[in-house]
Amino acid sequence: MPSTLTQSAVTRPPDAAAAAIIRTEDLWKIYEMGAEQVAALRGVNLLIARNEYVAIMGPSGSGKSTLMNLIGCLDSPSRGQYWLNGQQVSAMPDDDLAYIRNREIGFVFQTFNLLPRATALHNVELPLIYAGIGTEERAQRALEALRRVDLEPRKNHRPNELSGGQRQRVAIARALVTRPSLILADEPTGNLDSTTSKEIMALFDRLWEEGNTIVLVTHEHDIAEHAHRVIYIRDGQVADDKPTARARQRT
Amino acid sequence: MHFKEAISIALDSLRAHKLRSFLTLLGVIISVCTLVAVIALVQGVNLYVATKIGRLGLNTFSLNQFSLHDMTDRQRFARAVHRNPPLRMADYNYLRHSATIPIAIAASVENNSGTLKAQGQEMDDVSVRGVTPSDLVMESFHVAQGRFIGHFDEQHRTQVAFIGPDVVKHIFPGINPLGRHILVNGSQFRVIGVASKQGNVFGNSLDQFVMMPISTFRKLNGKQASINIGFKAGGSALVQPAMDQVRMLMRARRHLAYTAKANFGLIGSSAVMDLWHSITGAIAAVMVGVSVVFLVVGGIVIMNIMLAAVTERTHEVGIRKAIGARRADILRQFLVESAVLSTTGGVLGILAAWLFTLLAGRYTPIPFSLPWTAVIMALLVSTAVGLFFGIYPAGKAARLDPIVALRSET
Ligand SMILES: Nc1ncnc2c1ncn2[C@@H]1O[C@H](COP(=O)(O)OP(=O)(O)OP(=O)(O)O)[C@@H](O)[C@H]1O
Ligand SMILES: [Mg+2]
Repeated sequence: MPSTLTQSAVTRPPDAAAAAIIRTEDLWKIYEMGAEQVAALRGVNLLIARNEYVAIMGPSGSGKSTLMNLIGCLDSPSRGQYWLNGQQVSAMPDDDLAYIRNREIGFVFQTFNLLPRATALHNVELPLIYAGIGTEERAQRALEALRRVDLEPRKNHRPNELSGGQRQRVAIARALVTRPSLILADEPTGNLDSTTSKEIMALFDRLWEEGNTIVLVTHEHDIAEHAHRVIYIRDGQVADDKPTARARQRT
Repeated sequence: MHFKEAISIALDSLRAHKLRSFLTLLGVIISVCTLVAVIALVQGVNLYVATKIGRLGLNTFSLNQFSLHDMTDRQRFARAVHRNPPLRMADYNYLRHSATIPIAIAASVENNSGTLKAQGQEMDDVSVRGVTPSDLVMESFHVAQGRFIGHFDEQHRTQVAFIGPDVVKHIFPGINPLGRHILVNGSQFRVIGVASKQGNVFGNSLDQFVMMPISTFRKLNGKQASINIGFKAGGSALVQPAMDQVRMLMRARRHLAYTAKANFGLIGSSAVMDLWHSITGAIAAVMVGVSVVFLVVGGIVIMNIMLAAVTERTHEVGIRKAIGARRADILRQFLVESAVLSTTGGVLGILAAWLFTLLAGRYTPIPFSLPWTAVIMALLVSTAVGLFFGIYPAGKAARLDPIVALRSET
């Protein structure tokens, strides 16, 4: 276990925020481009609770992917703090972040990011390999995850033998297989046609119903409507944050 | 854990680029092949020298006018000719009575330019030797046919000849030579026995000789030539004490001062082997040096190809890191890959060396075998080279930033 996990108890934020799965405070990301500095995020404050279903929208270049990468522990902020499950992760070293990515987060990418030479099953097994789980349990859990995305019959196909929607379902199965507390998706339907997009979104809806916390980035309003809350990002800042029509229906 | 996975990734990429992998591994292959082949060669030749060039039977040594050391240099030999008196039959008789440790003592004289004639055939450059009957126990051949020279022959200086199998082949092809007459340098001899085959040393046959009683030899050739005196000890542990005793007796007989150099040569199998080892040792050292150079070159080529592999698979590293691979996981993956690569080179090199020893064993008289210690050493060394030269590329992959790696195009 990374040593920073115990330290975080000290920096744990108080009361209501403690229930939050994601809490950021004045999050900045500044890219150094030679002499030039690009501020992709400029003080983002976010609070996302367990089992929320959140869409992030905003114009191209507004900083959505940058924010997702920080939330997904793929990158560290230049300034500000980030608590994941009440645990301060913004200053963790590389390997501790890898551990968090492996256990707490399931990341779904626009371009799928599957290993091209590996079968669907092996791709789904991969996070379990790095979690140190034995061969038998690994295969069993990977199969179960593939079953949840209705792809068990394709388990021995390689990515280039699968359709775009099927590849994204493999990627989702890979994100699910470690039973993470948070599922992140950066434009998961960006490379898919509208019918396939609907299938993928139906899958996300189901995952949410099963109790998962979902945060996804999208450019399309009908995709965002699947969520219950939309956060608008503009110029690296939260411009708006409101419930969707679907959430209003629910209440 | 994911060690198996790392190995299968490595083997996959080897299979995917067979020619490239082979070229990559050429350095390691050549290096390991030379290393193993040279060790096999030195071992084989050493064995060969011990049994053949030494021409010394088990637990034997000989007393000669000159030592092997005297003969390694022309000036040294010139000085030794001055210093060392020839050995005489009187020395032989003296040692026969005084040297108590050896279990057998024999005297012999040799002339290497004998001519044989018989059956209308002629044969030149035959080794003509005069020996005592006790010589048989010193030799590494046995009597294949007939009998050896006996005491009666020795006492009566009979004109009898014990011949090597090459002489039979040339002069008596398809004929039983026993009882036949043969002219040795013009004198007539009767063949009484034939030796078993010994084979070649560096193209020189060991089977091209004629032996006669030493008394007969000296009657025909005069008594000036120095004789050689052979000794056989009762066991390998007794060789050294026997040699010491003979040395002491000879020094006393020749009134040598404590500090004076010996004016005779004592040649045991150890002396032959020492001389030989100093030659093969130098050759082996050079070849080991050559193979180390190849190994380093091979290692650098592997490092280069691994750097290319890391660049090629940056995106893959990004994916693995994104789903939780730690630095150590990535490091291990690439280290295993380069170790598998170089070990494959090592295995191919060993196979090449094995083929070499098979061929060399077939077409030369040297007894070749693949030395297991060398094989294991070569495997370990080639794996170590892969690990060592894999450290830098693997470290580079392990330190990749996940975001940067994911963004790189495949
Ligand atoms: N590695 C980088 N180096 C420099 N600048 C970067 C880097 N990554 C992103 N940026 C800049 O940061 C800003 C935000 O980029 P980001 O990728 O987060 O936008 P986005 O909202 O995801 O856009 P899109 O909708 O097109 O995906 C952009 O101006 C971009 O040019
Ligand atoms: Mg983006």
